[in-house]
Amino acid sequence: SGAKPTNLVVARPSQLANARHIDDFSVVNYPDGVSSPVAENAPAAHKPRHYSRDFLMQFMGICKEKPDNLPPLDVLGLQPDQSQIARGGSGRRQASVSGNMG
Amino acid sequence: DEVDMQQQAENIRTVFNDPQNFNVKHPLFSAWTLWFDSPATKGRNMPQTPMTAFPQTPLAQTPGGIASAAQGWMEDIKRVISFDSVEEFWGLYNNIVPPSNLPQRANYYLFKEGIIPAWEDDANKNGGKWSIQLPKDKNRANVDKMWLYTMLAAIGETFDPILANATPENEEDAPQSMITGVIVSTRPQFYRLSIWTRTAPQSTGTDDDNELRERVEAIGRHFKVNVLGYAGNAKLQAPLATEVEFLSHKDSDKKGKNAKKIVV
Repeated sequence: SGAKPTNLVVARPSQLANARHIDDFSVVNYPDGVSSPVAENAPAAHKPRHYSRDFLMQFMGICKEKPDNLPPLDVLGLQPDQSQIARGGSGRRQASVSGNMG
Repeated sequence: DEVDMQQQAENIRTVFNDPQNFNVKHPLFSAWTLWFDSPATKGRNMPQTPMTAFPQTPLAQTPGGIASAAQGWMEDIKRVISFDSVEEFWGLYNNIVPPSNLPQRANYYLFKEGIIPAWEDDANKNGGKWSIQLPKDKNRANVDKMWLYTMLAAIGETFDPILANATPENEEDAPQSMITGVIVSTRPQFYRLSIWTRTAPQSTGTDDDNELRERVEAIGRHFKVNVLGYAGNAKLQAPLATEVEFLSHKDSDKKGKNAKKIVV
């Protein structure tokens, strides 16, 4: 079907979508206290072969922005268990265990 | 030279340097796709509005086609998103429902892009899976962390010791990862976590097979100890709980006695 929706609000691609992939880790300056993936991949200098859990966990509290290409979860049928919400508060408590909130 | 390097570094802003205006992201070694199913996704046809105009069916991705059994299996499994950077992974993680809040009989499948979460996929058909089953009431508070750590070991490529310890001079020399995907399942009484491997030992006793078995067992031990946080010698079997155990997909088909399980 060639029908096009009207009144489209075209959002600009987010920072997340626009950022480019690092191709040379040796020129990235990480702030003090942030570990570089290169250190844990020595002697492989430029492109790390793996990221440790400790390295990856550093992003958890920073990268909160929803990716542009994440569809609305209710459209997918992906919603929190209603019975847990009805029990009151358990959803919130569980989410904070995973660091998912705030 | 040094001046150029410094200028280059100043133009590179990670999320740590500037959470709002970063301009680089950390590439993953593979792109990954998250899939989801639950009773609520069955028979659900997603409307093709601009908001949801993303690929729904994976079948075209598998050259040569896959068995009709897999097509039926995949019909109710919805592709959520594909991503290939650390930053996008966390953007997804921070905006999706954790396993402890999923309805019963739901599954997340995180697989390498281009591999569908079905035995029939070429990348899976000779493989198997490590899995553990955990009683729900005792693990509601643990399952989100266990699933997070499982995903991080998958996207960070730390499951497979041969890959994790490899320091190839260039990309072409890098060994292929054994991991094709990871799954979390919610059931009325328990959770299950699984790691799918590309190959499975056959217990033929050949050197190659023994080597493969060692490699697969190392993945299971890493899963048990480093990801799930159990002691290496812990016995986990209990009502509704299993050990960390490996079964080839071919043996899973047999069920029962002929299935050769590996336990760590």
